[in-house]
Amino acid sequence: MTTKTEVDTFSTRRSLTPLICINNAVVAYQNAVALANINLDVYEGEILGICGPNGSGKSTLLKAILGLVPLSHGTIRFYDKDQQELTCVEYRQDNNLGYVPQVHNIDRNFPALVEDVVAMGRYAQIGFLKRVKKSDPYIENALRLVGMWKFRKRPIGHLSGGQQQKVMIARSLANDPKIMLLDEPTAALDFRIERAIMDLIHQLHQNQNLTIILVTHRMSFLREYTTRVVCLDKSIIWKGEPSDPKLQTIINQLFFQ
Amino acid sequence: MNPFFMEITFNPNAFWKYLQYPFMQKALIAAILIGIICALIGTFVLLRGMVFLGEAIAHSAFAGAALAILLGLDPLLVIMLFSVISSISIGYVNEKKMMKDEIIIGVIFSFFMALAILFISLMPVYSTDVPSILFGNILIISPNTFNLLIFFSFLIIIVIFVIKKELYFMTFDEESAKVSGIPVRLLTYIFLVLVSMTISVSLKAIGAILVFAMIVTPAAAAYQLTFRFNRLLLLAGFFGVFSTVGGLYLSVAFDLPSGSTIVTLITFIFLISFIISPKRRLAHLAHLPTECPYCGEVIDEGSCEDPDCPQSDTPHSHVAHDDHRRGDVVIDKRKLPGKTPSTHEHNGP
Repeated sequence: MTTKTEVDTFSTRRSLTPLICINNAVVAYQNAVALANINLDVYEGEILGICGPNGSGKSTLLKAILGLVPLSHGTIRFYDKDQQELTCVEYRQDNNLGYVPQVHNIDRNFPALVEDVVAMGRYAQIGFLKRVKKSDPYIENALRLVGMWKFRKRPIGHLSGGQQQKVMIARSLANDPKIMLLDEPTAALDFRIERAIMDLIHQLHQNQNLTIILVTHRMSFLREYTTRVVCLDKSIIWKGEPSDPKLQTIINQLFFQ
Repeated sequence: MNPFFMEITFNPNAFWKYLQYPFMQKALIAAILIGIICALIGTFVLLRGMVFLGEAIAHSAFAGAALAILLGLDPLLVIMLFSVISSISIGYVNEKKMMKDEIIIGVIFSFFMALAILFISLMPVYSTDVPSILFGNILIISPNTFNLLIFFSFLIIIVIFVIKKELYFMTFDEESAKVSGIPVRLLTYIFLVLVSMTISVSLKAIGAILVFAMIVTPAAAAYQLTFRFNRLLLLAGFFGVFSTVGGLYLSVAFDLPSGSTIVTLITFIFLISFIISPKRRLAHLAHLPTECPYCGEVIDEGSCEDPDCPQSDTPHSHVAHDDHRRGDVVIDKRKLPGKTPSTHEHNGP
């Protein structure tokens, strides 16, 4: 649980209501510990940056929050707007979580148009046997938000990496989520596109009232776009504001030793 | 006449003549159903990259058939039992990530093949049913097998249409499907059982060696021709039915084995669709998406359509480079005689 002094340091945060409380979480694969003793609260309206070297458990933490990997110990609790305590599965049911995976190689010929991919975001909401309407307002809205409406009739495999990433963001937006989790959204993209994607995420955060958890190891992005940073190396090494000069020292320690 | 070859005669009316008899009507219905279910299931097998899993299931089904013949049981249920066991065990090892799936598929596949040969060697007399399972004969389907075929075909078709959209999402991105609340694990196993059922009911008609072609090839042929999922299913189904019914007709007309005729026909269809595939031609065409350096928008062909484009008065089009990735913007000088756009610059090498 967050202590009082810790709370006061996060002045840039918009609200003090925690959306997610991670308490003593441990994730272990067979005998190797991937994450140890994680205590972390995620607050409404913040952009939380998670950084750390390869294999430090960044993606595992994200997956643990999403309920994709089971915890060996500890709890992760979610709170809805009435402050009701929920488990991940209960929270997911209302489609409050939007997930943007790392861009993977999409088969050039995969039979899916951009609008089909965004429609996938609506499938669980709609239920078995029902079809997503061609004119679903959520899909149009999501595509317009990321600026990909013009591309809706294109095969997904024919887009560039940055455009595919925008479509993935649109898909996670299609359910109007509260929290968006992004796993290295700019990996494998060139500098110009990287910045465009980060600007888009920033803009969504401003306009859509989203809470964002972002895994990245680009120092400049942590400083520019996040409101709080967590440095991971199996356990939390440091957490604080991105403007804190200590962050650079921690990063140097983590990456260059 | 060459004494080493059988004489091939063409009898175009044989099919229509026999169609009045129940055995031929049954064969026709079986052909249509098998064409549909194989194509539907095959589309997902292809997209999910499970092609060799299907092969392993087909071989375990053969072991089941051999055991059924040995014990004098109805083959279809034993076949189904064997193929469900093998597919679920492969699926389980896969899910737990105990080893690479190609290893477990290789182990299971050869084990079931060995079992099949053992069962055949245990038979007191060599049964004529063995080649019929290996090579298939759609014209001799027992009434019991036929009823089961109809029942399972409708079951498979119904289940696939219920879980179609969810399977599609899982195929594209399993993790995100899980996060969005789709029961991925359950659906994976349901799908494995559906693949086993499909292979089992088709075994009698196409044969253990060739049944797998009916799963892969119609879907692969359709895959060449479309980017839309529903059209892919529809086309695969059409190719499947066309090849099973056409193969049946040709096998009767030329007096050839049904399974191999069907597979030859569908492979021929695949070749044609591979040659005319717009997907492969697309790779060499200019209209790959590329961002216009002037307005940031993407243009397919011709002029930029974006009403907000600052240079919408300037017709420009895109041509591809040799690497087929990013195009240059070319300004159509004919439409703009003597005019150079103010902010447009050439992006070429």
